[in-house]
Amino acid sequence: MFLFRWLWKNMQGCRAIYIVALFMTVICQSMYIITPYFTQQITDTFIINENATQNLQEHSDLLIQMLIAMVGFTLIRGIIQYSGNLMYEHSSQKLIYNVRKVLFDNIEKQDAQFYNFYRTGDIMTRVSGDIEMVRHSIAWIIKTMLECVVLFTVSLVFFFSIDWLMALCLISLTPVIMFITWLFRRKVGPMYVNLREKLSTMNTAAEENISGNRVIKAFAREDYEIERFDVHSKDYSTANKNAAFMWLKFFPYLEITAQALSVVMLVCGGLFIISGRITFGEYTAFAGLIWTLSNPMRTLGNIVNDLQRFTASANKIIEIYYGSPRILDRSDAVDRPERFKGSVEFDHVSFSYGDTKVLDDVSFTIDPGQTVVIMGETGSGKTTLIDLIPRIYDVESGEVRVDGINVVNLKLEQLRGNIGVATQDVLLYSDTIDGNISFGNTSMPEEDVYKVARAADADGFIRRLSDGYDTIVGERGVGLSGGQKQRISLARALAVKPAILILDDTTSAVDLETEKHIQDALNSLDFPCTKIIIAQRISTSRNADKIIVLKNGKIAEQGTHDELIHQGGYYSEVYELQK
Amino acid sequence: MARNKFDVDEQLETPFDIRHLKRSLVYAAKYKKRIALSLTLSAIGVIIGLMSPLIVQNAIDNYMGSTDTIPQLLLSGLALFTCICVSVIFAKIRAKMMTRVGQDIVYDIRKDLFEHMQRLSFEYYDSRPHGKILTRIINYINSISDLMTNGLINFILEIFNLIFITIFMFFVNWQLALVTMAGLPIFAVVMLVIKNHQRKAWQQVSNKSSNMNAYLHESIVGVKISQIFTREEENAEINDKLAKAYKKAWMRAVSFSNMVWPTTDIISIVVRAAIFGVGLIGFGGAISLGTILAMTDYSARFWQPLMNLSNLMNTFINAVAYLERIFEMMDEPVTVDDIDGATEMPEIKGDVHFENVTFAYEEGINILEDLSFDVKAGESIALVGPTGAGKTTIVNLISRFYNINGGAVKIDETDISKVTLKSLRSQMGIMLQDSFIFSGTIRDNIKYGNLDATDEQVRAACKIVGIDDYIMSQKDGYDTVVNERGAGLSQGQKQLIAFARTIVSDPKILVLDEATSSIDAKTERYLQNGLNHLLKGRTSFIIAHRLSTIRNCDKIMYVSNKGITEAGTHDELMAKQGDYFKLYTAQSV
Repeated sequence: MFLFRWLWKNMQGCRAIYIVALFMTVICQSMYIITPYFTQQITDTFIINENATQNLQEHSDLLIQMLIAMVGFTLIRGIIQYSGNLMYEHSSQKLIYNVRKVLFDNIEKQDAQFYNFYRTGDIMTRVSGDIEMVRHSIAWIIKTMLECVVLFTVSLVFFFSIDWLMALCLISLTPVIMFITWLFRRKVGPMYVNLREKLSTMNTAAEENISGNRVIKAFAREDYEIERFDVHSKDYSTANKNAAFMWLKFFPYLEITAQALSVVMLVCGGLFIISGRITFGEYTAFAGLIWTLSNPMRTLGNIVNDLQRFTASANKIIEIYYGSPRILDRSDAVDRPERFKGSVEFDHVSFSYGDTKVLDDVSFTIDPGQTVVIMGETGSGKTTLIDLIPRIYDVESGEVRVDGINVVNLKLEQLRGNIGVATQDVLLYSDTIDGNISFGNTSMPEEDVYKVARAADADGFIRRLSDGYDTIVGERGVGLSGGQKQRISLARALAVKPAILILDDTTSAVDLETEKHIQDALNSLDFPCTKIIIAQRISTSRNADKIIVLKNGKIAEQGTHDELIHQGGYYSEVYELQK
Repeated sequence: MARNKFDVDEQLETPFDIRHLKRSLVYAAKYKKRIALSLTLSAIGVIIGLMSPLIVQNAIDNYMGSTDTIPQLLLSGLALFTCICVSVIFAKIRAKMMTRVGQDIVYDIRKDLFEHMQRLSFEYYDSRPHGKILTRIINYINSISDLMTNGLINFILEIFNLIFITIFMFFVNWQLALVTMAGLPIFAVVMLVIKNHQRKAWQQVSNKSSNMNAYLHESIVGVKISQIFTREEENAEINDKLAKAYKKAWMRAVSFSNMVWPTTDIISIVVRAAIFGVGLIGFGGAISLGTILAMTDYSARFWQPLMNLSNLMNTFINAVAYLERIFEMMDEPVTVDDIDGATEMPEIKGDVHFENVTFAYEEGINILEDLSFDVKAGESIALVGPTGAGKTTIVNLISRFYNINGGAVKIDETDISKVTLKSLRSQMGIMLQDSFIFSGTIRDNIKYGNLDATDEQVRAACKIVGIDDYIMSQKDGYDTVVNERGAGLSQGQKQLIAFARTIVSDPKILVLDEATSSIDAKTERYLQNGLNHLLKGRTSFIIAHRLSTIRNCDKIMYVSNKGITEAGTHDELMAKQGDYFKLYTAQSV
């Protein structure tokens, strides 16, 4: 029932239409029972009747009227059915639109922990394949259920009104069907859970294959990949077959029981006629409408089948639907609409990934406008450290303060809006270069885009591309060299005119001349800005106000270039290496 | 290279083509025995099913008169039940067979598409959102499974049914048969009109769902960027727009599809009315009552398969919209492929020659022009120069990731375009700028370079690059599970793992493209020592900006927009006081 309440909740904006559609289904189904009445009347009056020839000659206008009524009736039924169906389509589309919206919002807000757990392909499966089953639930399952119930009830009333004993005989098989269906439901449920798991695995495998296409080609591993994917593809195919076979295992029992109604009809009906309980006419009436009982009975299996499938999918969606991100605005968050000054303070900060301690009791202060360079060995916690400032992660203990306020007490939008980050793993969107640069500030004028591109020393190469700023770059920026991507990423960070600019090894792939140019540009930005730079090169750090060297998550050295060189630690070693 | 983005529909070049259906029949042909058997079973089932009304009719006429015939009545009931059981069991066997066939066909198509996908070059992957490729291989193919499982066989059965009944009708009364069929042209015209719109409408649906998936994919991959730039709301708006477009396309498509059934229904009723009208009034009693009754019955039976067919047509048209996309991708030309009669690349010694190589990603904009250089086996070559000058391009050409537009690239006097890609690339070790980590264990990731590598080899490689200590410090050591995003690994660590992966592949030619950019200077120093040992006897190309990395190479080539402008050892180039000298002095502190 929870699932149906969940569906109802998400049907906001289409509930009324859906109810109208259900109502139309009721009318339509009732009309299906009535249509044969016309044919019956015509046959009775003009064909079988003793005075048929006479009737035909004297009342041919009546015949024409009846024919017109028959056509008109069908026309009306057709129109009701058509509009009813479109209403179902509309409501089911509206439903998945609503669900999709919530899912997307939620996916966008999830923290790193979520993304370490859910694979891209898995999320994709939920938002494409599983959502299709949700659509199916109200566009088909509920609709068909109602159709069956209406048909079954109406004909039952009809049958009981003719002869209660005969009617009882006919529904005597219903419990049998119910029991088989119940057995089936228990068996097929797990099959569908398994099936969609296999779909998700296959989707993930394909997704990784596509993302890793360069590595695959570099190692000529195409055959290996084909084999690997084949396993998943086969698994999925087998799971599909197994689910279908489970259905087919129960299908004969359901189908035979449903069709056995006509045997009951024949035998019991025959006996009742012989005993004089019912007339031939009544028998014909029963026989003509027997399908209205057997059809719902045999459809029950299909409904249960799809319901199980829907349940398996819906549970997967609901997991994400209600999975609330852990990094959120606090209800008592401080409102700071004005531009931040840009001081950053780490106060005894510690952080772990699972069991691994990544940052251990880190403390330092950065004043507004300062340039601080962070150095340290691979894996020493540099990127984690800067991720704590815009709250990509929350600290485990200690406090990170911006402008003297603990970041968890700031509004996420205001905090992040004041921070510009050029990440290490440059992710560009398959959009124009212009669109990528103005990503964080979509309303910025063209001139400003050029300006930040110039500051990032990207303007030159962008203009040499075939479509200049309108060149579409591929996903992840494929087609551009590493250095070019980094420069666009830098321009993107500058475009938001942040109070705090964070560069995570952003110039590692650019040549030295370019780097020098970028440094000059960073020193003459037209807005006040605190700069936190992760770098490997001494050329970057020598003029910094402060250099922080991390080692295994702890601050090993802290000071200016000259101070650290005289300390004779990691920094001076690196200095010697690069001299 | 024209690139597609998430909100641009992919244009389908080919017009509707019956060949798409024929082509899917080729897949079905593989299972023709099973399909034929299924058809036979179905036919027998249908015939047995037809016996039921006869049994019922006979019982009503003969056994319901008096108590004497009760045994016969019960017997008839038994016979009826037997008929039902037999036909249901036949139906089950048939369904089981066809499920198997249908799923196997889907599996075959997916396999073929995936195999083709593996052969497509970088250009294909670079020129469209990955979500769109994913949608084809997963969602589109799933969409045709219904057609393959039920559509095909039902289609054939309904056609048989139709032919059977038509013949029968003409046999009974040809005039009334003609009346029954008079509705046919109207039906055909209506269907044709609807079908035309329908096909385009469903194509739009497939486009819009592809767009939506592409954007979703990018949003998931780029979620960190979106959060940092507080783009959640704008992204939600874009997603909203795409979802709305999808909904609109869907509603348009179903507004046509849903028309099919009621229209057919109405036409069939009109025909039935006409039979009564014509039969009763037109023939003015000249026609027997039995005939009219039979005809109304048959006209119902004639229109039933037509209605079923028109419903099937919905499935078909829907599926064709997806099939078109699938086959389009299967027909995507493989631009970098083995030539006819390609030979195996002999074991590489390591000489590399560029002979007047010209290359362009886009027609008319040459990245490399008339480039020539020679590298002797065992030499280590550093490529330096401004970003975007073509350093990565040069090394990509050695592995033949792209075809060159002029000249030749030779390894050991063998033109690399003449050998199989696999034999060439499996002897090369390439470390790319983007160190992609597969989900799986760290060990699996390293063994990707050499599936037969022993655990010792894996560890040895990790020791060379200096990541062994880190890996061993993890709870699960080499069995630590990482994923696509390399959760828990820093960028530098990912590079080191990618490096180890290259080392275990024991390449004859090693290409390091910014392989160490994210690795700190000290770790790199450590790495360098191991590397020097490794590089002995192997030709290597190193692209790096850090001069400490390059200094020790045998030869340094300065690549600028004008090609290779300087080449020589570090000392030679320093003495020359040219571009390299400028670069070097810029870095020295």
